[in-house]
Amino acid sequence: MADLDTVARESTSHDGGAVDFRAREHHEFLVASRQALESANLQLALARLGDTLGQRNRDAYAAYAGSAAMRELARGIKDRTLAELDQHLEALEASVRRNGGEVHYAADAADARAIVLELLKRRGCRSVVKSKSMTTEEIHLNPALQAAGIETVESDFGEYIIQLAGQRPSHLVAPAVHLTVGEVAEVLSRHAPEPLPADATALAQFARGQLRAKFAAADAGITGANFAVAETGTVVVVENEGNARFTTTLPRVHIAIAGIEKVIPRLADLPVFLKILARAATGQTMSIYTSLLSGPRRAGQANGPEEFHLVLLDNGRTRILEGPLRESLFCIRCGACLNACPVYRAVGGHAYGGVYAGPIGAVLTPLYDGLTQNEHLPHASSLCGACQAACPVKIAIPELLIKLRDRLHEAQHGSGMLESLAYRTWGVLLRSALGYRVATWLASRALGRSQASSRWLRWLPGALGGWTSSRDFPAPARERFRDWWRREGDRAPATPPRGLDSGGRA
Amino acid sequence: MNRDVFLKRVRTAAAAGRSYRVTTNDRVERAAGYVGGGPDPIARFAEQATAAGGQVDVVDDPAAGVARLLQICAQHSARECIAWDHPLVDRWSVRAALAERGISVASAGVLPGEDAATRRRRLLSADVGVTSVGFAAAETGSLAMIDDGGCDTVASLLPPVHVALVSHEQVVADLFDLFDALESRKSADWPSSVVFITGPSKTGDVELKLTTGVHGPKHWHVIVSRS
Repeated sequence: MADLDTVARESTSHDGGAVDFRAREHHEFLVASRQALESANLQLALARLGDTLGQRNRDAYAAYAGSAAMRELARGIKDRTLAELDQHLEALEASVRRNGGEVHYAADAADARAIVLELLKRRGCRSVVKSKSMTTEEIHLNPALQAAGIETVESDFGEYIIQLAGQRPSHLVAPAVHLTVGEVAEVLSRHAPEPLPADATALAQFARGQLRAKFAAADAGITGANFAVAETGTVVVVENEGNARFTTTLPRVHIAIAGIEKVIPRLADLPVFLKILARAATGQTMSIYTSLLSGPRRAGQANGPEEFHLVLLDNGRTRILEGPLRESLFCIRCGACLNACPVYRAVGGHAYGGVYAGPIGAVLTPLYDGLTQNEHLPHASSLCGACQAACPVKIAIPELLIKLRDRLHEAQHGSGMLESLAYRTWGVLLRSALGYRVATWLASRALGRSQASSRWLRWLPGALGGWTSSRDFPAPARERFRDWWRREGDRAPATPPRGLDSGGRA
Repeated sequence: MNRDVFLKRVRTAAAAGRSYRVTTNDRVERAAGYVGGGPDPIARFAEQATAAGGQVDVVDDPAAGVARLLQICAQHSARECIAWDHPLVDRWSVRAALAERGISVASAGVLPGEDAATRRRRLLSADVGVTSVGFAAAETGSLAMIDDGGCDTVASLLPPVHVALVSHEQVVADLFDLFDALESRKSADWPSSVVFITGPSKTGDVELKLTTGVHGPKHWHVIVSRS
């Protein structure tokens, strides 16, 4: 099979034309984010996102007294589960089998695609409906199915729009958030007998009609999994529209694809997550539909698939599990960090280039796709911590980003001679009182005097210019604290002059 | 990929990863997240389900509940209903009441001699789905639908109107209580489908504007009887 994972990335236009970053994965964060900043429609959409979903998340945490405790518990469950992940996977497998289902193991994306294609072929499935799943995005399943001649329809309303528009989702839970209602009407109208009005309700009704027919005809339904309960062999799918219920009820085959980190040990662990997931994602107390799906239909049951398959995906997860960025595997894909992030809210999901966007995407994409190709992502953060504050499992995203920056620096520069010399000199100066005095005196002279009128330096020489190319540098104080004290210290309690010593914001 | 190789890889990685475990506060207890149903769980249920976009009627007895069901059917000019084969539906004499108004009621399950395509057409043309619930959780206003003999999940999914009939003893206080109740089903006869429903089908996918009835029911009614 052609390497779909590479194809998905071939975004740089060889014909010299403009690249549509909404359509292809890419490694062009700088170019893509600049484009995003210039799109008025996108900026409007992103502002709306922070004001609605972001605000609702904060309100929902505040309104639920138990939210802090449940987030801590959920985090603990993830940590303990990962510590014994192999055992929980074996338990999950045993339970799925007991329910009459099958478990498959996929080492990487190509493996997962091959397994799904083989299953569909074996059962003669020619058409597939899908419910929203980032994991299937990650393994580039849709192009593989289409290449094999299998009709593949996304059934989540947002994903349906995205699929017809030939784009990629730009948000974990609101995939089409970057499009205006007018743009959506235009996209859907291409598939309607007459032009559709730019009205959200009318457009949803059109999609409902189109998709009902697809549900009724589909041979197989493919979903992701929000959780997989080891104890009962249950795949949990959380949604608001009902499309995942259709996907898992009407077709005769159900295939669920889940990253290995989605397993939770016990049924009793599930309510802990359910109490915080929707609050984090949309500010709802519960999402509209939470489906607990445990294998094929039983004897005497009139609904549900005749076959149930669970594909467990590694695709780089074990490599993360064994290292210092292990905590990123706690992620339950709620999207709260995206809505909270000042960078995401400025550049949107497509700028990040990979399947996962926002703060958690800035961690996951370099890990899954390669660090040096995605060198800008760990830096696409002010480390303000809004992501961590919003995260339902309290992932220390800023810390993970710093670790990635470290790793990147190591990979790109090694331990550079000049840099280590600079730090060694710094160390020597700071260790001696005289050295410190001389250094600060020199700094206040050299920098403070040179641009004495401003408290911000707009230009720095040489290698330091990288800093000032996109932002100002706080000027050192014109007068050192020690000098001020010597002059004014006896006449206390005077207010020190503005900008003293720190040179920063007073 | 070979199962054993896969799991061995996971085992090695999980072991190595133990040096990178995070510190969590082990003194936090589940009780800290317990909300419960307050002094009147049925009232709390009604409040929460309403907030989720539902239309809730709390009635004194089953007779009043059936009267309300008939009103709802009239509102939607219903001619065909599909219903669960469930003890509560029988006890409330729902079928007879609907039939009296000239509304046909059929099982959501497979009728004798009916093939899959015929059944699907019948289900898709129904105006109202009438169900009971496994449980109703007051904390969140959620209904737990357990699809086993007669309680078909399609009845709460395919028709544009879903009416759930709930009796007071089916109401549990908290989501934790709901899972405690499900625990007893865990062993031999764990059902293939359990669905929690908290509101009418909804999407905000276009400009984050909320629209109901995108795939599932647009109208979500719950009738709770206090006796």
